[in-house]
Amino acid sequence: MLLYKAWIETRIRFLAGLATTLIVCSYYLYAHSSLVAMWTHMLQDPKGPHFGWMRLAISDYNFYLWHYLYDNYLQQIWCLFAALFAFGGLIREKQDGTSLFSLGLPVSRRRWLYTRLLVALLEGCALAVFSVLVIAIGSAVIHQTYSLSQVLAHTALMVGIGFFAAALGNVFYTLFPSNYVSLILILAVISAPYLLIQTYVQHMRSIGRSTWLSYVDFGYAMAGPWHLTWSTVPWITILVMTVMTAILLRTAAVYGDHIDY
Amino acid sequence: MMSTVIETVQLRKNYGNHEAVKGLNLSVPEGSVCAFLGQNGAGKSSTIKMLLGMIHPTSGSGTIFGHRIDRESESLLIRQRVAYVAEDKRLYDYMSVEQIIRFTRSFFPRWNATLEKNLLQRFELPKARKVRQLSKGMRTKLALLLGFCRGCELLILDEPTEGLDPVAIEEVLQIVVSLASEGTTIFFSSHQIAEVEQVADRVLMIDRGLLVLDSTMDQVKEEYRHIQAVFPEPVEERDFRVPGIEKVRTNGRTVSLLASHNIDSIVEHVRMLRAGSIDVLPTSLKEVFLEKVTARSGHASL
Repeated sequence: MLLYKAWIETRIRFLAGLATTLIVCSYYLYAHSSLVAMWTHMLQDPKGPHFGWMRLAISDYNFYLWHYLYDNYLQQIWCLFAALFAFGGLIREKQDGTSLFSLGLPVSRRRWLYTRLLVALLEGCALAVFSVLVIAIGSAVIHQTYSLSQVLAHTALMVGIGFFAAALGNVFYTLFPSNYVSLILILAVISAPYLLIQTYVQHMRSIGRSTWLSYVDFGYAMAGPWHLTWSTVPWITILVMTVMTAILLRTAAVYGDHIDY
Repeated sequence: MMSTVIETVQLRKNYGNHEAVKGLNLSVPEGSVCAFLGQNGAGKSSTIKMLLGMIHPTSGSGTIFGHRIDRESESLLIRQRVAYVAEDKRLYDYMSVEQIIRFTRSFFPRWNATLEKNLLQRFELPKARKVRQLSKGMRTKLALLLGFCRGCELLILDEPTEGLDPVAIEEVLQIVVSLASEGTTIFFSSHQIAEVEQVADRVLMIDRGLLVLDSTMDQVKEEYRHIQAVFPEPVEERDFRVPGIEKVRTNGRTVSLLASHNIDSIVEHVRMLRAGSIDVLPTSLKEVFLEKVTARSGHASL
């Protein structure tokens, strides 16, 4: 019943996540042919922009999917909704006035928390699986073939590492219970890796230098390299992100135990 | 000998510099209907929340059914045996009446389905209606239903009848009495002295975080007396320092005393002070409450 309650409370967000995923994935599948035509035209123009990835995106549909979805928009949307799914719980109920009813039930605070996070994880998984379905159906419609194993591997990586965003969202909501403050903070913190860390690490990578920040570049880790094999999976980053996620979950649980309602 | 269901020793709760509960020693015997009286902000809700692990005591200790209230694992055991209805009766407003009953029922294996059916009819609660669409009174009735039907050994009610009409109050009090007759211990906070007198067999009074009365209702009715005396000359409060005198009020030559025991000796003492007339009157719980609880705003909230 706790799962059912958490589901009722987040289902609107989940449906919004599905709708957004559908729009983004559908758009980039629909736009594939026009974008390929545009890049081909650009490459033929000696004065046009010539990015290294353009040739690959034209010739390899798997790379195209990875570049636009798993390395960019789908990943960012998934992250945002994972954080939003984890919002709420007893802290939110404290503001709504229902926390005393909940705490009067024979359910520990940690069980409330972990149920909430489990539902967030399940919804995140469902969102990711839904994106795979959209890609499968959309690719069939536009007559493109792709590697299902690569799509599934990228999806698993996105969810596995991206759960960090849900844990982060939950901690922010626990520490800063105001809806708006916590939302702004989580957006800022989730945006930082994309706007700062990822840009910096990409720059360092392009000049052939390494930096420790690459271990916390969770945007890069969520996407992985475009062709995933056992040897190209970013294992160290996965380990670092898993430890950080565990620390965040523990922080939320310990802090939550000491809150007066 | 009756065992104790709730027990606290020097229980304290501070919110910053404010001491909400100041070393409370409570003892609630099994099977009793215990009223917990006090003004707004006296510390009633804070005490109840500490008992149920919702807030953490600053110091002191407490047990319910022998389980410590300050340990999360034991608090869980307590909440399996205790039904609690909070003061504001806020429930999940996105659920329907039927959904929230089903949700709550799932946590209590001894849920009383017969009582649930009975109360749904008596309270005229529409099962399909969302909680957010219920009136305040209906929401209170639903919260009480969710508490009463749990089949628990202890029922803790924080202002149970607030927001109810007189007919509904009467119904609720009847249910409380009926549950008590089946062996459920009842611990309820209230401002309503009349309803306390109607159902409680034990009364605890708290004022500014301190317990000022712990007595059975019978003791209050039998032992507390209001003594009024008129003297030929004005008298002072210090003339009435006698064991048993709880409060003294002087108004020129007239003195009003609230006595909890030792009535004969007090009357003799007053007589020795040459009182012209002495009246010994029975007293009500309301008078005891007003005398015991220092009104901060000049009015007791009755």
